[in-house]
Amino acid sequence: MEERKIRVKINGRDCELSVKPNELLLNVLRNKLGLCGTKYGCGTGDCGACTVLVNNEPKLSCLTLAVTVDGAEITTIEGLATDGKLHPIQDAFVKNGAIQCGFCIPGIIIMAKALLDENPHPTDEEIKEALKGHLCRCTGYINIIKAIKAASMAMSKA
Amino acid sequence: MATQYHTVGKPSIRKDAIPKATGQEKFTCDVVIPGMLYGRILRSKYPHARIKRIDTSKAEAMGAICITFEDVPKAKYNERIVSVPSATFKDRTVLTNKPLHVGEAIAAVAAETEEKAEKALRLIEVEYEPLEPVFDPIAAMKPGKPSLHDSIILQDKVVEIKNNIAAKVEISEGDVEKGFREADIVIEGTARTSRVYHTQLETKSAVVVPEPNGGVTIWTTTQTIHNCRILIGEIFGIPLNKVNVKKISLGGSFGSSIQMNSVLPITVALALKAKRPVKMCTTREEDMYDHCRYPMILKYKLGAKKDGRLVAGEMEVIVDIGAHNIQAYPLLGCTAGWLVSLYKMPNLKFVGKAVYTNKAPACAMQGFGNPQVNFIAQTMMNEVAEKLGLDPIEVELKNYVGLGDVFWGQGPTVRSVIRSCGVEELIKKGAEMIGWKNRGRPQDKKGDIVRGIGMARGFHTSSAGGPMAGEAVDFSGAMIKINEDGTVDVIAPLQDMGGGALEAGLKIVAETLGVPLDCVELAPTDTCNSVYDVCLHATRGVYAGGGTLKKVAEQVRQKLLEFASRILGVYPHALKIRPDENLKQGVIYAEGISGKEITVKEVAATARNKNWGTIAAVDSLRQGQCPPAYTVYFVEVEVNKRTGEVKPVRAVIGADCGTVIDPIYAVAQIHGSFYRGLSYVLCEDTKYKRRTGELTNKGFLSGYNILKAEDMPNPDDIQVFFANTYEETGPFGAKGIGEAAINPVPAVVANAIYNAIGVWIREMPITPEKVLKALKEKGGN
Ligand code: FES
Ligand code: FES
Repeated sequence: MEERKIRVKINGRDCELSVKPNELLLNVLRNKLGLCGTKYGCGTGDCGACTVLVNNEPKLSCLTLAVTVDGAEITTIEGLATDGKLHPIQDAFVKNGAIQCGFCIPGIIIMAKALLDENPHPTDEEIKEALKGHLCRCTGYINIIKAIKAASMAMSKA
Repeated sequence: MATQYHTVGKPSIRKDAIPKATGQEKFTCDVVIPGMLYGRILRSKYPHARIKRIDTSKAEAMGAICITFEDVPKAKYNERIVSVPSATFKDRTVLTNKPLHVGEAIAAVAAETEEKAEKALRLIEVEYEPLEPVFDPIAAMKPGKPSLHDSIILQDKVVEIKNNIAAKVEISEGDVEKGFREADIVIEGTARTSRVYHTQLETKSAVVVPEPNGGVTIWTTTQTIHNCRILIGEIFGIPLNKVNVKKISLGGSFGSSIQMNSVLPITVALALKAKRPVKMCTTREEDMYDHCRYPMILKYKLGAKKDGRLVAGEMEVIVDIGAHNIQAYPLLGCTAGWLVSLYKMPNLKFVGKAVYTNKAPACAMQGFGNPQVNFIAQTMMNEVAEKLGLDPIEVELKNYVGLGDVFWGQGPTVRSVIRSCGVEELIKKGAEMIGWKNRGRPQDKKGDIVRGIGMARGFHTSSAGGPMAGEAVDFSGAMIKINEDGTVDVIAPLQDMGGGALEAGLKIVAETLGVPLDCVELAPTDTCNSVYDVCLHATRGVYAGGGTLKKVAEQVRQKLLEFASRILGVYPHALKIRPDENLKQGVIYAEGISGKEITVKEVAATARNKNWGTIAAVDSLRQGQCPPAYTVYFVEVEVNKRTGEVKPVRAVIGADCGTVIDPIYAVAQIHGSFYRGLSYVLCEDTKYKRRTGELTNKGFLSGYNILKAEDMPNPDDIQVFFANTYEETGPFGAKGIGEAAINPVPAVVANAIYNAIGVWIREMPITPEKVLKALKEKGGN
């Protein structure tokens, strides 16, 4: 299959990539760019482990063709911490015991970023709603919800 | 108790939290080796078949490396070697020519890209001779039914399999007939528990590099790097010093990697044939056909006196193990043991049978038979209490196995005496917190939406240790060394499934050495640079793994103090160590003598400069006990009588894990276990299509019912508290917690449902349809 050139801004850096028309964004990030923080959990849109931000919108990279993000700005989990400083959401996950095996965490943190950008003070119910597309087998979601609330507090103070 | 410690019992941030929060943590699927090929597996379309012909020539013509049954070693093995050889039933090979379930591996390919590997897979031609499958365990035992395995290997002897019965265990204590005659009330019931899919987020994977010396280097999803090494060495005839399995983070497991996962030996076979590194990451669909929890049918009869004291119990268990016997024999022994250890029962009979069927093979999953037994035993005990007009709490307190009693930690061969027990404290405090006395009676609850409160208690062993060698191998090993700058390397092959066992281990090391936690790190560990550790299972991480780290750290401390004594001129036993957070060092000092102080760094540097040697130790530890960790659950549910929906709304959870090493992660373990238990009892199950033997969800998560965040009670409505206990045989008084926290969850939900609507439902999952059916039946009589 013929490869196509696309231009994207990934975690603030411009890159030009050559991708096949059927290539998934998930595989491009992981295999071509070495951004392995974005995880494969199902490939069918059921677990949320592959969530990334495309133009600030959460998108499942396992269901997104790379060619469709031409010109877009993409943020992966690797792009959240700046100058070696954790993003407040990451910090809250770390401090609230919200991370166990950690495999679901990149997708959930990315989703939390999108949620808090849109709704800086979500209720428990709103957080649960936002977690609908995410599977975490380890935590029972309890400390994840607590961490997102703690992040919301920390971000509004800052 | 914990206040005397500087690190143990205090909340801390686990060392892997930041790499995991920033996407830096590496899992097997993230390993990249220059020049590696990608592997894919061809899987059986039929639940039971013979491969008549398999032709890989077209795939090979496009440059793919291919392997079939003809290319793999023929000796049978069992992928789980936690049990001793006399209890390890071998019935499988790396690839098969007689697949026993849909999705069983029959061939594999490796190619330059995943796409090419996928294409090669489609070019393999297979001619099957379909055989009659059997899916129901009861039917499978009937004469004339197709046989899955004619024979298996047990300790190098061929053992014939009859009626698809893979293993059988019978245990009896006292005289049940006599016991039932003496009983004032006898009740009987049957429970069915589900075939839950582990749903660990990371699918099973392996990366294998063939080495020039004929050996292999391996990264894989496993709970035991050393057992993977032994198995790969045995199967492929490679000396163990040439098999190096590297420890890497696991994206959850919950028991599903207690065995060497099927993907590993296949990847090894491919890499050896290709003479190139091969990476194999399975898809979610493949993973769902690879492992699940043991489902059981449990028939139980129980007799009690008027005052609620139990006098006799009889249990018959049938386990549907699927296509392979990974660990059915230890499962049956453990299942009997969980019953024996739940209630003091003077007369008891247990018969368990494990039966082969043409489904995905079942294996360990958190609790290992314990939630299944607990489900029937605790709901029927509640029923007895209700029938006798007694408070279920009172009945539990009369019958529980506690302090001074004998506990079966891993079936009949692993027993020890209980030395710490917080059951009474947990029950009484929990009852108070939930408002047990005001829960009301089902007959008084009006309206379509009613609430009920249930109670159930449970436990799990901490390790499979014991005073005598049993049928399970159980010991850990570790090396600890102090570096020239005062920092500490911990080389521990013990795995962490995500629960934080190793982080607890680091705190135990810091506490023992007297250095700040920041000084202690887990070193990259593999099977070549570490001593043996059996496996992370049986809630043994903190108690046995942590116990081992404490033992080794004590030896290091001894050596450190001897060296410090040479420098300071103070006898070693008069020296103490305290962590100095400002210096980021341990400081060795003589109490009351000023000026006699030195940092760990200075001692280590001096030891180097003066050629005294490294301050290090390496050792193994077998725990001589298997103390139970206890949990007590009080859960409130809301039942909608119109729709049959059950919603958990509030929980009070009490836990006795001895000393709590880390309050944040101990609570987090309990949260996760509560969640998995709720999902287990309320909705999870894997079902098979009768005609094709396929999973009804075809292996897709979208078709697998599982609780989500929205189904959980709000964080503020879940309260967790700990008992004030100290386990003298555990590191700093600690026991385990993980599995104890899931075991009573199915029962507590069933008991709460009874309290809400007055019906007992003992068939999992308790779906709305089953609730409506039970309500209808109740209304009808
Ligand atoms: S991998 Fe994309 S949703 Fe699961
Ligand atoms: S932390 Fe393991 S799946 Fe979420």
